[in-house]
Amino acid sequence: MKPSELPLNAPPQAGPSGRPPLLTSRRTSRTYLYETLTEWFRSGTVLVLAPWIILGTLVILYGARQPGVYSFNELNIITGETLTLILISFGQTLVIVTGGIDLSTGGLLSLVTSLAALHLGSGGIRMWLVMAALLVGATLAGAINGLLIGATRMQPFIVTLATSSIFGGTALWVLPTTGGTVPDQWVSFGNGVWLGLSTSVWLLILVLLFWLFFKRTRLWFEIRSVGSSPEAAFLSRVPVVRIIVITYAISGLFAALAGLYDITQAVSGSPTVGTDYILTSIIAVVLGGTALTGGRGGFGGTISGAFIPTLIGSVIFIYGIDNHWQPLLEGVLLIFAVLLNVFAAYLVRRRNAA
Amino acid sequence: MSSAPDMRPPHTPSGPVRAVWAAANGRNRSVVLAYFIAIAMFLATTAFTPGFASPTHIKELLIEASFIGIVGLGQTFVIIGGGVDLSIPYVLNASGIILTILTGGQNGPLIWVIPVLVVLAALVGLINGIGIAVMGVSPIIMTLGMNVIVEGALLVYLGGQQASKAPPLVVQWTFNTVGPVPVNTLIWLGLALLATAALSWTTFGRRLYALGTSRIVAEFSGINVVPMMVATYMICAVAAAVAGILYTGFVSQPYLGMGDPFLFASVAAVAVGGAPLIGGSGHYIGTIAGALVLTVLADLLPILNLDPGALQIIYGVTILLTVAAATVRFRGGSVQ
Repeated sequence: MKPSELPLNAPPQAGPSGRPPLLTSRRTSRTYLYETLTEWFRSGTVLVLAPWIILGTLVILYGARQPGVYSFNELNIITGETLTLILISFGQTLVIVTGGIDLSTGGLLSLVTSLAALHLGSGGIRMWLVMAALLVGATLAGAINGLLIGATRMQPFIVTLATSSIFGGTALWVLPTTGGTVPDQWVSFGNGVWLGLSTSVWLLILVLLFWLFFKRTRLWFEIRSVGSSPEAAFLSRVPVVRIIVITYAISGLFAALAGLYDITQAVSGSPTVGTDYILTSIIAVVLGGTALTGGRGGFGGTISGAFIPTLIGSVIFIYGIDNHWQPLLEGVLLIFAVLLNVFAAYLVRRRNAA
Repeated sequence: MSSAPDMRPPHTPSGPVRAVWAAANGRNRSVVLAYFIAIAMFLATTAFTPGFASPTHIKELLIEASFIGIVGLGQTFVIIGGGVDLSIPYVLNASGIILTILTGGQNGPLIWVIPVLVVLAALVGLINGIGIAVMGVSPIIMTLGMNVIVEGALLVYLGGQQASKAPPLVVQWTFNTVGPVPVNTLIWLGLALLATAALSWTTFGRRLYALGTSRIVAEFSGINVVPMMVATYMICAVAAAVAGILYTGFVSQPYLGMGDPFLFASVAAVAVGGAPLIGGSGHYIGTIAGALVLTVLADLLPILNLDPGALQIIYGVTILLTVAAATVRFRGGSVQ
């Protein structure tokens, strides 16, 4: 081969006996960029973009009819509606990546909003103490889920279904109907605007930064390894039970954060508010491309998955479509996204087998 | 010649105690436990509240239990096969609402409306089954998606219209009795016998347990697993539709959201009945006990002056305890 035929930045070629590296094709005449792109398409990696493409399409559809969509104001409104779901989906993403599922976050969210509305008082030091207590309590509640699942090997689905009933029941017990008071101090914090962006957008940025940090931690690596294969993880000295407990504890913590954010929007506690979030949080995670079989996915896609239902609602409204169509569209989109995901997994398997 | 030496370990009890011990550690232990809980709860409640065991009240209990029982029937098949069906709520809800709209509250059209509803439900089950068995979508997400789609289709079909009244005949199925037994309990009994026979004495039943234990092993043993899996979801959807028709008679005017409690109830009935939701274990006989336990619990609510929250807490604790009992053995670690 003449040196002029070598592509720039060419990856190292394999030796005479070795397998060629993944990103190179055997045909050397193509450029590196072209090869990388083909590899992305062939391996299904490109399907990670699917939820973002769906989201982008929805934004464009929305923007075509509604003037002023591409503004901070609209971003503030949409994020304000979606942030509770985004927060609760953070924990759900981690749990689903371990191969589990957490149905109890909805009940926990209800419980946190109920207790907060009853005990936050009128603000000040008491409010902060109660909030800290709620966050710690919810984390412990999540850890109990994790212990039951990790230590007794009961199915995550049934354990969290049962604890969901217990948390939701406790919420109904302490606060039978929607009510209670939320301190003005906290409401105005939750609805404040800094530099043109609302608190919800700043919180979203904060969560995103946390995720960028989190995905570089050892814990995230271990969570993925538990999700890929608990046996292999155990044999590789990953403390499987501890990882599962920590993951469900994080899920509980984020359910409590979602609850504390939610009361700034609703300005009251509700013992049943979480019911809607049980399934929508799973839908957001799956729309975002995380596999329910565990091991694959991340919070990045979940963000787009959480915004999609909100935007479907907006698009349906702006185009004057009867809002009876919303669940049908969401359901079809969900199944479509899952099939894409399954297809991506198939492509990955086929490439690994080849 | 002396008799054969006793090879049993010295601490193993013998006689009737041994029989109970064997039952308690054997395959059917969790089913026995579920009936024990149901009977114990019923007796305890009867002791504290006069009239709980009166024929009228037992009749009411049976009517209420039959809905959970029929929904749980389908869920039992799906769970034994290693899946779970979350599309029950809106299949049940849709069949009830479409029933009243197509019949217009008259008895006459029932003769073709009920088959239509059964076929529609079977279609939903078919799509669920194909998505799960052929395309490899996870059962939770496939049936969850179908639930949303059926809800959406129902909303579009209704277009803001209200459901009408249930036909009088359907109402009679709930409240009329044959001898001392309500008609809908008889329907439940018939379905229960069918399900029990199918699970215990047919090839389908044996293959279903094999499939639930391990799909790969079942496939290598020559079982055609795809039609089996599809069949379980079709059974489940049809059972939900039947429960929806009967429940419409019970509430007399169906409403959106009436199916929602049955999602939890169906899974809970199976779990309390001794299937730890891992597939390949459990039996409909257990689910019947589970349905009875849940119904007696719900009936305790007004008697003990408990609020709905307390009932939910009790439900949750009951499920945790029974599933733990079915999963963790007395000696020698867990089932798996």
